[in-house]
Amino acid sequence: MELIKQTLLLLWKDLLLELRRRDSLLTMFFFGTLLLFVFHFSFDLPPDRVAEMAPALLWLAFLFTGTLGLTQLFQVERENHCFEALLLSPLDRGALFLAKSCFTLLLMFLVEAIVMPLFWILFNLQGWNLLPQLFLVTLLGTVGFCVLGTIMSAITLRARARELLLPLVLFPLMIPVILATIRCMENIMSAGELGAAWSWLRLLLGFDVIFVTVGILMFDRVIES
Amino acid sequence: MALISIAIGLYWGLVIAPPDAYQGEVQRIMYLHLPSILAAYLSYFLVFIGSCMYLWKRERRDDILAHSAAEIGVLFTALTIIEGSIWGRPTWGVWWTWDARLTLTAILLLIYTGYLMLRSLIENEDRAASAAAVLGVIGFLDIPLIHMSVYWWRTLHQPPSILQPNKAPWENIAWPLLIPLLINIAAFLLLLFYLLSLRYRLGEMRDQIRMRRLEQSP
Amino acid sequence: MRLFIDKLSKAYGFLWAVRDLSVEVDSGDLIALLGPNGAGKTTLLKLLAGLITPTTGSIRFEGTSRTARLSRPRTGLLMPADHLYDNLTVRENLRFFLSLYGQPSALRMIDAALNEVALLERGAQFVGNLSSGMRCRLSIAKWKLLQPDVLLLDEPYGVLDGSGIDLLEAFLRHQAENGGIVVMASHHVSRALKLCSRALILKQGRLTFNEAKQQPWTSFDRAFGEFLPHGERWSS
Repeated sequence: MELIKQTLLLLWKDLLLELRRRDSLLTMFFFGTLLLFVFHFSFDLPPDRVAEMAPALLWLAFLFTGTLGLTQLFQVERENHCFEALLLSPLDRGALFLAKSCFTLLLMFLVEAIVMPLFWILFNLQGWNLLPQLFLVTLLGTVGFCVLGTIMSAITLRARARELLLPLVLFPLMIPVILATIRCMENIMSAGELGAAWSWLRLLLGFDVIFVTVGILMFDRVIES
Repeated sequence: MALISIAIGLYWGLVIAPPDAYQGEVQRIMYLHLPSILAAYLSYFLVFIGSCMYLWKRERRDDILAHSAAEIGVLFTALTIIEGSIWGRPTWGVWWTWDARLTLTAILLLIYTGYLMLRSLIENEDRAASAAAVLGVIGFLDIPLIHMSVYWWRTLHQPPSILQPNKAPWENIAWPLLIPLLINIAAFLLLLFYLLSLRYRLGEMRDQIRMRRLEQSP
Repeated sequence: MRLFIDKLSKAYGFLWAVRDLSVEVDSGDLIALLGPNGAGKTTLLKLLAGLITPTTGSIRFEGTSRTARLSRPRTGLLMPADHLYDNLTVRENLRFFLSLYGQPSALRMIDAALNEVALLERGAQFVGNLSSGMRCRLSIAKWKLLQPDVLLLDEPYGVLDGSGIDLLEAFLRHQAENGGIVVMASHHVSRALKLCSRALILKQGRLTFNEAKQQPWTSFDRAFGEFLPHGERWSS
């Protein structure tokens, strides 16, 4: 349908632009890795404690890295006032929302796919077989982050101190996602499977579904000026 | 207006008057603590309604309502936290604890302080209003999810003994204590509406001044 | 199609950019929008494009209301160097915009359009590497393909060379002849007036002149003389 076609078109455009300049992806990747190093030096954990802290540390790293990506999200449209060109066209604003969210999600996915194994290596963790499950849970949490983050990125576009304001408004709203994802990951790492954390996973899914819907419905209100 | 002063007078009277409390004098804080958090929640609900209406109809009055309610909500939330702290110190020996209710209240404060900051950091009035309205809607929709996640987090991990003091208020509350509580709730709500109407009027006047200055421009 | 602008006003903070503007425009009208710097021409164009909302007043297309986003005529805004992606090639830009507007984006069509504006050899170049004149030509190609009902232009003459100007004017005439509405803001008075069927003069946000072209145009001389550079006269 029309919404999907337009979303894919915008996504194609954003990916092509990112491929050519690689602004966001590389910065995010290096920043994420840098954070891992900083954590290692700051926390100095004994090997048995690391597994406990792993989900939280990883999520902290992803949150900050993702925020970096979010502040850059609409930058490409601001050059040459391309944003106006998009608004002028019969573009469904929901498609813009979906495309930008998916774009952020893709960038985060790539960063996470590399940073997670890297974390395992740097911190000498065991349980490599658990990575796929952990990665899946992280991805679900990242969806929530990208969706809410895209909305917040859009509404703070013209604000002063934007780089500070964006995390300020986004992070409190992310608390359900942070809690749910970390609890699920802890369960997987300690018990090898989700087990008791199923309700957390459902919360996470609910969060994602609710805010994707809200985003699609409300995005035209978000970018009116 | 007279009604407001009567209400406030009433609750003062009752603060002096209430019967025994099993936790000593400090228990009295509950008479303020509970009503102020209720007032805060009501304010945030009004922010939500105002934001929804503004996004739908774009009428100035909805935006003024949302902004006013947010400010007052933040006021009551801050009040709640301070009261909670005052209660906590003699009761548990600490100024702050990460139990579910206090944490939730702190998160609420963060969300709506963010709302107010968003408004003040956007130059263009109309854009600020739209942006804030979106945040107002999303923030409120997120609150139940935040509630659930914080409660689960705390109940699944904390032993029940620490949780009991939190459950005290509406469960097993004695009748003589209930009446002043209800009166105080009513009094706080009246206070809320009074402050809200003042702040709303201020917002309206600000708008009017803006309009008038605009009309007089060449 | 008729365009009704009724008491349109737009304020930024405490300054009026456009004040109490009322005009009626028919299809086939080619309008020259003139006025000194800061008169509000760009603001008016953006209001017509629907990119900004008016403070008071309304813009209506016959039968259809502008506020209902779905039912408005296709509107093009030609800002000479803008609305193009620097890091996409010439062809990719056209392909993107054609797809955005739901039109087929066959290579033949794109190349034919590029050929008309003499940009075919640059089809694979990044737009960021083009000069502003070439970008303007690309914008012309873009709007030629998208065929808007209403075409708005903001100072296109500044960046175009001789053949570019010919291209532009032929395109605008074609638009007007086929029932479109064209509104062009320009400082290039003589050419704009040669081309137009009606002239509007904006001064400090207010409409001070609104007349269909006539020969000779003495009323225009009186209205516009003060805006010309010292010692210059325009001639129709």
